Amino acid sequence: MNSGVWEEVGRAGLWNEWCGAKAAADLAPAEASCIFYRLRSGPSVLLCQCSCYVAEDQQFPWLEKVFGSRPRRDVQVTVLTCRHVTDYKSPESPGSLPTPFLRALKTRAETEPPGCPPLEQPNIAHDLPAAVLSFCQVWKVPAVLYLCYTDVMKLDLLTAEAFRPALSSQSLRGLAQDVPQSRECLKRLAATDEVQSNIYT
Amino acid sequence: MFVPCGESGPDLSGYTLLMPAVSVGNVGQLAIDLIISTLNMSKIGYFYTDCLVPVVGNNPYATAEENSTELSINTEVYSLPSKKLVALQLRSIFIKYKSKSFCEKLLSWVKSSNCAKVIVLSSSHSYHRNDLQLRSTPFRYLVTPSLQNTVQNQLMNLNWEEMEKSPRIPEINDSDTCIRIPGGGITKTLYEESCSREIPMAVLLKFVSEGDNIPDALGLVEYLNEWLHIIQPRSADPTTSALPWKMPSSWKLLFGSGLPPALF
Repeated sequence: MNSGVWEEVGRAGLWNEWCGAKAAADLAPAEASCIFYRLRSGPSVLLCQCSCYVAEDQQFPWLEKVFGSRPRRDVQVTVLTCRHVTDYKSPESPGSLPTPFLRALKTRAETEPPGCPPLEQPNIAHDLPAAVLSFCQVWKVPAVLYLCYTDVMKLDLLTAEAFRPALSSQSLRGLAQDVPQSRECLKRLAATDEVQSNIYT
Repeated sequence: MFVPCGESGPDLSGYTLLMPAVSVGNVGQLAIDLIISTLNMSKIGYFYTDCLVPVVGNNPYATAEENSTELSINTEVYSLPSKKLVALQLRSIFIKYKSKSFCEKLLSWVKSSNCAKVIVLSSSHSYHRNDLQLRSTPFRYLVTPSLQNTVQNQLMNLNWEEMEKSPRIPEINDSDTCIRIPGGGITKTLYEESCSREIPMAVLLKFVSEGDNIPDALGLVEYLNEWLHIIQPRSADPTTSALPWKMPSSWKLLFGSGLPPALF
């Protein structure tokens, strides 16, 4: 988002046990769970930042609101998400895996190979990313999900950089600025978080 | 609703639909996995609803790298036209309060598809068995009235045991009786709705406990095979090992990842 000018075009508020005590109607605009942005230089590019857990019974209505009941097939969807490495099943123990690492799942309609290995069986994706990908698979929309497995629970530079192969995909290639500037931006974001987490200051 | 993979939906008139109930030990789902994998059934569509928790993964029946990146979702439909078989696989649990809605949507689709019969593979808690059930085979069947005339003789010749009814009020023996399938998920709902809608349905179930339920799934598919003869034995010798059921490539790490060597 640091690479271009994005304007906010919509918000979606929802409430469930994981969001906290406030009802959806009481959420202030700044607390909305999903914010939709449009790229000013390319209005056909939309970005959704989802900062809250979307519960199972909310996922289907969320999809219908965002995509409609039958999406257009000329839409291209990319989903980025993270999971803890203990969710990843492999013959090796989670502690010995070289985290963070990226895996991808794509729909049949997506013909470009993703820039990272496919998610191996028996691993699966769930929650909202799975709901989006299922929807796109059924309605033949090109879509790819990039799943980063990490061993930290907070924003850190290494985990953010693990998404770099996703930035060279056809859909995101033109949106990310050149490498040195994005690295600096990530360092600033990660540093802010580190200071706040120091209990001795 | 059923959404085909191709541009148009296949004609399923006269087909036998096999489906699992999400039940104790996931035995029905494991059994359907075995059937799809062994018969190399082709995916023909999705049963897309808001009733099950979304999950996605790569092809659980992959046999080579070339077919390992086909995306699979939580409810998919497979077919084998040569045997007029169609299989619905469910890969996740029901969202709260949505199981009845799923049953209604499913049975409407079954009716409109003109399937010859539906067979539900399921399981029930083994600890709920009464004394008679403890001493007999762990397999049971149920058929709806609209299927009974067609298959009753076949099932009697197989010496199969019908699922017993139990008192509606357990402490009172002379109260009305009803079918109980504890741990069977939507099995009972599907069966009762099919009775009232005159859908030809059979339920095949096994009494199981939670644990490594692969042997239970193998037992259930062999029970089904006694009736439908889906696959033939490798040889005529009855003493040789079981039928050649092929386990899917996704059946690995069922009990978690590898352990850290330092643990030992």
